Amino acid sequence: MRSVLVLVVCFVLLAVLGPLFAPYDPSAINIPKRLQPPGGEWLLGTDALGRDIFSRLLHGARWSLGLAFVVSVIGLVVGTSVGLIAAIGGKFADWITMRTTDSFLAFPELVAAIVIAGFLGAGTGSLIFALSVTGWMRYARVARGIGLSLKTRDYVIQAKLAGLSNVSIARWHYLPSLIPSLTVVWTGMFARAILGISSLGFLGFGVQPPLSEWGAMLLDARIHMRSTPLQMIWPGLAVLISVLAINLTGDALRDSLAKDNAK
Amino acid sequence: MKIVIGLFLRASVVLTGIALATFALLWNAPGDPALAIALARYDAIVTPDLVNEIREQAGFNAGFWPAFQAWFGPILMGDFGNSSVNGRPVLPDLMSSVSYTFPLGIAALAIGMALSLPLAILSTKRPGGWLDRFAIAVASIGNAIPAYWLGLLLILLFAVQLAWLPAMGARTPSHAILPALTLGLGVAASLTRIIRSGILEARGQSFLPALSRRGVPQNSISKDHIALHAAIPVVTVFGLELAFLLEGLVMVEVIFARPGLGSFLVEAIGARDFPKVQAAVLLTALIFVVVNLLIDLFYKVLDPRIGDHDA
Repeated sequence: MRSVLVLVVCFVLLAVLGPLFAPYDPSAINIPKRLQPPGGEWLLGTDALGRDIFSRLLHGARWSLGLAFVVSVIGLVVGTSVGLIAAIGGKFADWITMRTTDSFLAFPELVAAIVIAGFLGAGTGSLIFALSVTGWMRYARVARGIGLSLKTRDYVIQAKLAGLSNVSIARWHYLPSLIPSLTVVWTGMFARAILGISSLGFLGFGVQPPLSEWGAMLLDARIHMRSTPLQMIWPGLAVLISVLAINLTGDALRDSLAKDNAK
Repeated sequence: MKIVIGLFLRASVVLTGIALATFALLWNAPGDPALAIALARYDAIVTPDLVNEIREQAGFNAGFWPAFQAWFGPILMGDFGNSSVNGRPVLPDLMSSVSYTFPLGIAALAIGMALSLPLAILSTKRPGGWLDRFAIAVASIGNAIPAYWLGLLLILLFAVQLAWLPAMGARTPSHAILPALTLGLGVAASLTRIIRSGILEARGQSFLPALSRRGVPQNSISKDHIALHAAIPVVTVFGLELAFLLEGLVMVEVIFARPGLGSFLVEAIGARDFPKVQAAVLLTALIFVVVNLLIDLFYKVLDPRIGDHDA
């Protein structure tokens, strides 16, 4: 758990403080100095409009990591609520919520997000909506599964007999036991959200220029592949490193939870 | 038989739900769909009368349910309507796009299996050894690399720098090599992990020492027992793998300018061509649901411990 916290703090610091270290204005156009090679005055070179790539990457973290964080947390809240309703709310609620979850899972999530974001029109709002609508189901599945196994525990039955409402039982008796597993699911979904945001940005359905989201930067860089191939490396590398860091943290957490359970 | 009917019913409910959801999304999308169609068809010379005429034609005036029925009814009979941009029937174009996507998907799966199976088997020979650690590292990076970026890197290396392979379009079979490799490497990365942990778990099963003490040869144990056991988790995650593959196909087809289902969908969204978008979405859903249905059935054949009551 601590490693996940450290990672999140690092990402938040990067997204919040990173832009402060940017040597240039990320959208300052400087045509005479366009497509400069890395090194020298511009650490990673400049893009087709002469904008400093390093500054754009630092500012882009706000979109690529920040929006992914928002999307994955929305999914966490919605999915956990749905899962708990299914587990606590009785047979009918379980049937309705789980059939809904199945239906949402019956379509590749990113393809659905592309269709939704594409039709709602490009923009940050529709991007968040598209990825959140398609990103809550796994939390619901896990929350329901654990919730059902808690149902027959003594302390839950006692709380019920003591007359606690379903909402406060969910809050005080179910949620604490859900947190470790949900954190593992969350790391996976956070990584997926980063990939999703950059994929949509790359297709042109996501964060719009001149904002320097990493996928959108890659879309720009692609045209100049022949003259300045290195320009294409940096944004992709940023996505790769972020996703790798999250996945490795998630794996470590899952392994340590499995060890705890085995004890 | 009962399970088959049950699964089939569930699949049809899900497909109808997806049709309804897509239609609702298009219905509520910002902007006037009739105006978008008029602009796409006639460019600048759009008059209000023209827009009204299109609206009437498409049944947009009648309200949500009649419009949905007017669209979904013919689809059940196999008629996907005409493109709202060029007026051509959707179905032939859709089928021709699938003829590009299907072989690519199969090739990617084949590459993925061909790479991951030996790697996983070799890596579990000595868990924790250098080969095992190498396999895990490669798989972790492969899982984190965005498919579209990997595609661009391969284009950069093999098409631009070395000029060995063509990158854009689909004129010759060699045009398929780079896209198939891009997707195949991604598939291999996730399969390696799953097969590896499947084998390790199967090895821990308590009946294996019993078999070997009864004199069953080691060769038969690996082949008939461990392999069968390791196959179960692989089949289980195949549904997820398919989602991953379909998502990757969309991105990869766009990058390599391959006229497949993914490009078809992305272009149709860009042009606001409703009938085309709906047809592509429904076909994707159909593929996805049918394959998942087959997985469910296959899973029950593979692991007899799973009873009918789980269906």
